[in-house]
Amino acid sequence: MNSRQRDQLATLVFYSIAAGITALLFGLIGYMLYQGFPKLTLDFLTSPSSSFKAGGGIGSQLFNSFYILVLTMLFTIPLGLGGGIYMAEYARDNKLTSTIRTCIEVLASLPSIVIGMFGLLVFVNLTGWGYTMIGGALALTVFNLPVMVRVCEDALRSVPREQKEASLALGLTHWHSIKTVLLPAAFPGILTGAILASGRVFGEAASLLFTAGITTPTLDFGNWNPFDSVSPLNIFRPAETLAVHIWSVNTQGLIPDVRAVADGSAAVLILAVLVFNLLARWIGSLLHKKITAQA
Amino acid sequence: MLSMTMEKVKQATLPKEKEVREGSSLLARKQALTFEDVNIYYGTHQAVKNVSFSIPERAITALIGPSGCGKSTFLRSINRMNDTIAGARSTGVIQYDDVNLLGQEINTAALRKEIGMVFQKPNLFAKSIYQNMIHALKFHGITGKDELMYTVEECLRKAALWEEVKDRLHQSALSLSGGQQQRLCIARALALKPNILLLDEPCSALDPISNSKIEDLMIELKEEFTILIVTHNMHQASRISDQTAFFLDGILVEYSETNQLFTNPLKKETEDYITGRFG
Repeated sequence: MNSRQRDQLATLVFYSIAAGITALLFGLIGYMLYQGFPKLTLDFLTSPSSSFKAGGGIGSQLFNSFYILVLTMLFTIPLGLGGGIYMAEYARDNKLTSTIRTCIEVLASLPSIVIGMFGLLVFVNLTGWGYTMIGGALALTVFNLPVMVRVCEDALRSVPREQKEASLALGLTHWHSIKTVLLPAAFPGILTGAILASGRVFGEAASLLFTAGITTPTLDFGNWNPFDSVSPLNIFRPAETLAVHIWSVNTQGLIPDVRAVADGSAAVLILAVLVFNLLARWIGSLLHKKITAQA
Repeated sequence: MLSMTMEKVKQATLPKEKEVREGSSLLARKQALTFEDVNIYYGTHQAVKNVSFSIPERAITALIGPSGCGKSTFLRSINRMNDTIAGARSTGVIQYDDVNLLGQEINTAALRKEIGMVFQKPNLFAKSIYQNMIHALKFHGITGKDELMYTVEECLRKAALWEEVKDRLHQSALSLSGGQQQRLCIARALALKPNILLLDEPCSALDPISNSKIEDLMIELKEEFTILIVTHNMHQASRISDQTAFFLDGILVEYSETNQLFTNPLKKETEDYITGRFG
């Protein structure tokens, strides 16, 4: 075999791998959507789930998933940004920072069920809150924070050094340069990290089982007082998310239409993640264009 | 500590005689910056060794020398840009008015407002032309819309860029050509009304036409500003500068009026370099 043939073979191999991966992905998503599609009615999406009878929906689970996502990001983004800025701009190269870095890497690969147990100890028992939305959000913050710190650090480090020098040479302070030059330049990378983290939050079940719980009280969607126990906004109530719901109906569901509900929920979960990603990217690119003055 | 510094400064106001010829007009003019025993280290490597001389105000001083001779490092020590490099360390005195720029107590942000810098590659922000111009102005407390616009126009005119960009101020600065970008960098530095401009090989990434535009610009700007330019282009140094300092291996070999240095150098190393025998 001469070098030209070897080159062609390599091209063929890589094309086949790419085609294989794509086929697998489309097959998987297509199958889930195909199975779940018949369930995707407004009624299914909005009505509360039922315990014994067929025909229950996923209204509160869908709401819980989004609410817990917002809460988690509310904690994760500022903390992750702060940690990333410290690691990229302030931390000196010494034993302490290399220890921090190792810890972040270990934390990032921690199995989510372990984080669930940690959450059970700290956010459920120690605080005495019981199973709560906020407990779940905090557990997910622990789950996501290491990745977010890492992503923010990398995004900041990948901004060319010249940009920082340009800003410092104009007499701007370090912090002001970070705020007005480095962060806007690192924005696309940070956004991608935040979106990936959101996907993980949306699909996460294991760490929520013991923190946000596997039940949802009957919610009154007309009551928006966050301190009321039947209000959807109350953060101190148990909150079963969509991903947890898929697990719980499959393992302990007593309803006759378990399969249909699970299929429908899976399809909704995938679509929701997709829509969320597309929206976040679209808004992100609009913002980025505005900052960078690209028409 | 401070009094010791002042003592040193008094001894150091003029360059050593062996480096400047008698009767040179360098000695007669008001000095903008005076360097005394400036040493710069990167870790254990010494990049600049015992440099002492002074540069007159409202003139162009060129720093020439082969790559790695320490001229850029030296330039970057003046506005303390070396502070951002881990392991870099400077000793000695750089006297500016009545302060030592290498002193610990120096507020580097305030210093860099008075001593502006333009880098080798244009380093505009990924923002609009207008935003690039006002970025630092807003930080330094100028916020009035009319005042900002006035400064933007004034400085773009000074940088001979106004006519080319006046209709596209709100477009991305990165859509400009390389030469225009570099002139915008100069305009952006001028907007802070600095006393001294440091230019670190500002033309090395530019085509000959952009190059000559920037050279013309510098000759105009020296009426108002003290300019220090690092260049490895000897023709550029001889065309635009009033005095030239030749660096070799971190040492200031020779410093004199540009036409003297180029036509009748005192040192053999200088002659070898300007006649192209090495470097």
